[in-house]
Amino acid sequence: MGMVRHDAYALLLQGNDVLTFLNGLSTNRVEGACTTVLTNRSAKIVDVCEVVPVGEHVALIGYAPHKQSLVAHLTERILGQDVSITDISHLNDVFIGTGEGEFPEGTTHHNSMFGSMVIVPVRHEWQASWDQQAWTEHRIEHQIPFYAHEITQKVNPLKAGLGDLIHPQKGCYIGQEVLTRMRTRNSIDYVIRKKANPVKKATTIGQHNSLVVERVQ
Amino acid sequence: MDCGTCESGPALELHAPEVVDVNLTLTEKATAMLEDAFGDDRSHALLVGVLSGGCSGYMYDLQIVEGTDTPCQELNINGFRVLVPMASSHLLNGIEIDYVDRLMGGGFKINNPNASSSCGCGESFA
Repeated sequence: MGMVRHDAYALLLQGNDVLTFLNGLSTNRVEGACTTVLTNRSAKIVDVCEVVPVGEHVALIGYAPHKQSLVAHLTERILGQDVSITDISHLNDVFIGTGEGEFPEGTTHHNSMFGSMVIVPVRHEWQASWDQQAWTEHRIEHQIPFYAHEITQKVNPLKAGLGDLIHPQKGCYIGQEVLTRMRTRNSIDYVIRKKANPVKKATTIGQHNSLVVERVQ
Repeated sequence: MDCGTCESGPALELHAPEVVDVNLTLTEKATAMLEDAFGDDRSHALLVGVLSGGCSGYMYDLQIVEGTDTPCQELNINGFRVLVPMASSHLLNGIEIDYVDRLMGGGFKINNPNASSSCGCGESFA
């Protein structure tokens, strides 16, 4: 039980069109708090983002190394909509884990697909109780995909084990044609499996077990 | 979460696309369909816009409107008022609006020389 520091960015999106804008660009139905994937035209991952309502605004939490490409992806598609973006990464620390702990005032809690996420104002200097190894073992045990392991910008969400974040009924979004065709025409899907070491083509390697993404038909 | 609105966090600089003078053509079939739709009333205009989204990144948005609050270029094409939002002018310069008459998938179609690809339904492009 614990929390690990997440190498995250936090963007604050303001304006009346924010949810519609995000919904039109991502795989999940965005109507409020959720985890969703923004994909490019070939359905490769731009980033996996947490949508966190903050009062009248929305915070977008994602993986820091993907921030530049995510911001470029968003900004070139703001065509007169009421959407503005502010980088608030330097004001907040982001942690993921099982959710237990004493959190300071001003902490925002969010149920992410990775687990329990908390966003803590930097001024509190809150410290994580887990190191990366503990988080890795937790992920392997619960078969949770994560950035830089299963989730990279070279794969589509299905291949990253994020099939649950692809809404089957929502309308068009960038990359939707490719993902829908993969699923319905070719019946391609992938699952994340935990296997005892040694594991060929492991995406996450733990002390005794590892994660591997396998294709199922 | 510290959302920084009280401390005026650094807003990301959004690079507004260049506004270009739009050239746009209507085919004979599209003109005939608009004549059917508008009749003699020229108080309305055809708004040709672009929305973000769709399978390929951008979607065409055709509307018949009296006016709009969106900053637009107003063109007169074949006797029709055509409005093109400034924000999407760079994506729409040079387009041809056609009308395809068929039972399935018919309607107004946009041939766009700026589009590097488009999705199967023809409404989305990149």
